[in-house]
Amino acid sequence: MRRMRTVLAPVAALSLVLAACGGDDSSSDDAAPDTGEAVDEAVEVDDTDDGDAVEEAEVTTAGGGDLTIHMVTHSDDGPFWSVVKRGADAAAADLGIEVVWLGSNNDPETQVQMIEQAVSEGSAGIAASLPSPDQLVGPLTAAVDGGIPVITLNSGSNDYQAIGALTHVGQDEIIAGRGAGERFNELGATKILCGMQEQSNVALEERCEGLAETFDGEVIIDFVGLDADQTSQTNTIKAAMEADPDIDGFMGTGPVIAMSGLNAAQDIGRDAVVAGFDLTPELLDAIEAGDVAFTVDQQQYLQGYMPVLLLYLNVTNQNTLGGGLPILTGPGFVDPDNAGEVKSLSAQGTR
Amino acid sequence: MSETVLSDSTSPARATAPVDERLAYRSVFQRLLIRPEIGALIGLVGIWVFFWATSVPFGTANAAASILDVAATLGIMAVAVSMLMIGGEFDLSTGAMTGAMGILIILLVKEVGDLGGAGLSLFIAIPISLAVALAIGFFNGWMVEKTLLPSFIVTLGTFFIVKGAKLGFSKLTVDQIQVGRIDEGAGYSFWRPIFAAEWDRTKHQYEYRDVIYTLGLIIGLMIIAVAVFELFFQRRGERRPTGALAFVIGLAGLYGGVAVLHLTDGYGGNLLASVMFGVFGLLAVVGLGYWRYEPVGDRGRLSLDGTVSRPLVLAVVLFALAIAVAMILDATNNESLFFPFTEQGLRATLFLFLIGGSMTLMLIAGIRARRLSITTKTLVNLVSAAMLGLLAFFVRSQSDSIKFRTEAFSVLLILATIVAVWSIAGVLFAERTAIDRAADRLGGRLFIIGSLLVVVAFLAKLLFTTTAEIDAGLASSKFSMRIIWFFGFTAVMVWVLGRTRFGSWTFAVGGNKEAARQVGVPAARTKTQLFMLTAGAAWLVGMLLAFRLNTIQASTGDGQEFEYIIAAVVGGTLLTGGYGTALGGALGAIIMAMAQLGIPYSRWNSDWRFMFLGAILLIAVVANRFIRNKAEALRR
Repeated sequence: MRRMRTVLAPVAALSLVLAACGGDDSSSDDAAPDTGEAVDEAVEVDDTDDGDAVEEAEVTTAGGGDLTIHMVTHSDDGPFWSVVKRGADAAAADLGIEVVWLGSNNDPETQVQMIEQAVSEGSAGIAASLPSPDQLVGPLTAAVDGGIPVITLNSGSNDYQAIGALTHVGQDEIIAGRGAGERFNELGATKILCGMQEQSNVALEERCEGLAETFDGEVIIDFVGLDADQTSQTNTIKAAMEADPDIDGFMGTGPVIAMSGLNAAQDIGRDAVVAGFDLTPELLDAIEAGDVAFTVDQQQYLQGYMPVLLLYLNVTNQNTLGGGLPILTGPGFVDPDNAGEVKSLSAQGTR
Repeated sequence: MSETVLSDSTSPARATAPVDERLAYRSVFQRLLIRPEIGALIGLVGIWVFFWATSVPFGTANAAASILDVAATLGIMAVAVSMLMIGGEFDLSTGAMTGAMGILIILLVKEVGDLGGAGLSLFIAIPISLAVALAIGFFNGWMVEKTLLPSFIVTLGTFFIVKGAKLGFSKLTVDQIQVGRIDEGAGYSFWRPIFAAEWDRTKHQYEYRDVIYTLGLIIGLMIIAVAVFELFFQRRGERRPTGALAFVIGLAGLYGGVAVLHLTDGYGGNLLASVMFGVFGLLAVVGLGYWRYEPVGDRGRLSLDGTVSRPLVLAVVLFALAIAVAMILDATNNESLFFPFTEQGLRATLFLFLIGGSMTLMLIAGIRARRLSITTKTLVNLVSAAMLGLLAFFVRSQSDSIKFRTEAFSVLLILATIVAVWSIAGVLFAERTAIDRAADRLGGRLFIIGSLLVVVAFLAKLLFTTTAEIDAGLASSKFSMRIIWFFGFTAVMVWVLGRTRFGSWTFAVGGNKEAARQVGVPAARTKTQLFMLTAGAAWLVGMLLAFRLNTIQASTGDGQEFEYIIAAVVGGTLLTGGYGTALGGALGAIIMAMAQLGIPYSRWNSDWRFMFLGAILLIAVVANRFIRNKAEALRR
């Protein structure tokens, strides 16, 4: 069952232009820009980039409950977000309520309108990602003031308290980095290159900073080239490793760059511990083969499932969870021990 | 460079109308200096030396493999984009096209199924993808011609379409923002070596490598030296056999000098070798000149004016400053001071820049002194030689690194010797002032032979290893097939641009399209073909990427189009069209790859990367313009 809503056409058209000019498909605000193998579900609507200036929303309902929860995110409907969406859909099905999925494709203006729309429709609860506080804190605060419970997900750990949200469901990048640092200690690395695939992306830098906090040895944090040019990325990592013979570990802050790090180490015959963030089929294969030590998984399925569940419990039973603190969905680790299972789950679209 | 020599000598119009200023005789160096790619060539050497000095592994075959690997895909595109820019147009869709072609080929060969593509064999899919690329190129050209809109706008539209199609089709077919597994396609084992074979240097041992390298380099350079003589000096009517004898003895002595340099390892050996180079080099040069060339008539008197003395004094000041910097700063301090520099990095950088500035000023002084008198010019050049010699010994005494103490020392000493010998040759023999077809032909051929030998020497050094190196535990280095595609594509395009009618039309439509059309150049067709060329190059890069990576991200190539344009501009191609070279684009790409990898090789933070790239771009453009103006001025 699906409904189409026409959002103000000029604004949406503008949003498409802006999104196109943004230059990068994966939002830099996504905690994880691109992940996982995902299988298309029958209910899923194709992407919204078709220039029709129409935003499509999708409603999942099972059972006849009249409770409607809106999930308003900066989703680009990529593989990462489609896993989140499956989590939300599963929760709706399990609870027998209605979830309206609204993805703004990284455009804050559109997201603001979607939030206001959800409020005006008398939403029972709003789950929202908060990638750009400047624009989004206002309308979300208004929603809370209007008596609608709000939970933030994925991004927003710094602002969820300010808007009066019940809690935040997501991964704290610093804590994820710390977890990775402890793993590196166990694996016996002494000097790590923490390579980033984007310059001045706060989330990626926090991953490296967290790593440096718990890791016993030295960490070099550096931007080593965009995912868009993997040749240059691999060769840059190679150069950094050749220039410093002491480097015996590589942490890539994404799945593609982790593979580049592995290729670089293999090319120059360096016996280095390689690890990454998030999942791709190649990375899972490399972990299964034992070439990559582990990857940090933020389990975004939970970021879809949990907010729906918590909002439902709050509305129906006045429950809150977390005591005002954020609920962390990561770091989960995928290593050679569980890579095989995660691979099959990933094929089902829930990891 | 060899082509310069030939193109000027074979032009038929040249001899018939010598009154025209454009057809006036230019010496071999002037011809070299007005080549559009000369700035890039100098920049290439300069940046290589810079990073060679600041980074330990930068000079190795390993680093060369990495740099060329990065430069190859960038360079193929930069060469094609240079041609398009010479033709007066831009193509912003090139970057996204590279990734799109990689995705297209994978989708074409992927199995039909729930998550799949067309399931074609690679033998069918490769021609289809090429046809699609050429069709997109044709569309770009056709739109530009029909709408008369700037190509900047039209191809911006194509860029968005291609970028959107990449993402859209990836998600439509495999529901991912990456498309993978070309290795499942039929015919993969046939096509992979063509696009992605690798040459593992460590697996190819050849014990005589160094012999080939040394002999190839020395004989090649000597032949080049003779070619330069042939091209530069005035032939005499009657040859003198005694000169030839002296020449041969000189060559034998130089050979002995090389032997001494190779067989001994120490201060005394180098000194002996350099003395031998000096004495026998001089003998060979004087012998060669006495044998074949006219002695100089009027040497003029020594005279200095401000145009010469100012750069001369400034050069000496910079030289002294460089020495002071090297003495004051600590060579062992590895702590970061400011920016990305450690104290020793700063020392190396300042030293190199000051010395580079000083030597450039000496070169300028030398060129200006030519106008005053031959005696003055010779004296200025001898001062340069002395400075180089002094520098060699200073580097040797002050440096801790073995690299500087041996390699830099030898190179500097040899440079000093060459400059000294050349100044002496210049004071003895008369410069050619008119065209001599026979001499140009011989010189051109010798130049090509010499260059080939030098290339063979370097190839031997890069591609093969020796047992000694393996015992020393060198890292493996792999040269990829794409480097051959890069060089091959560049060579073909240099030929097309310089030798074919299409090449001439490209310059014509880029210079002035209307005028070109009126004299019968099919302007619309030429431009459309140029757009198809860039699209075809993007297809080639797409194949190289797909077969290398096996998986292509939907974002692959986005934003790279500006790097191609930057490489073309660094290579001396004008944004306004009508001027530039294909070779320049290739050199520009290598410069950018060196700049990009040199930063991690030097262990600097890459936060500064774009600042560095920007600086290189500005310096390159300013230097290109400066050199061109100087060269133009020299002609008058």
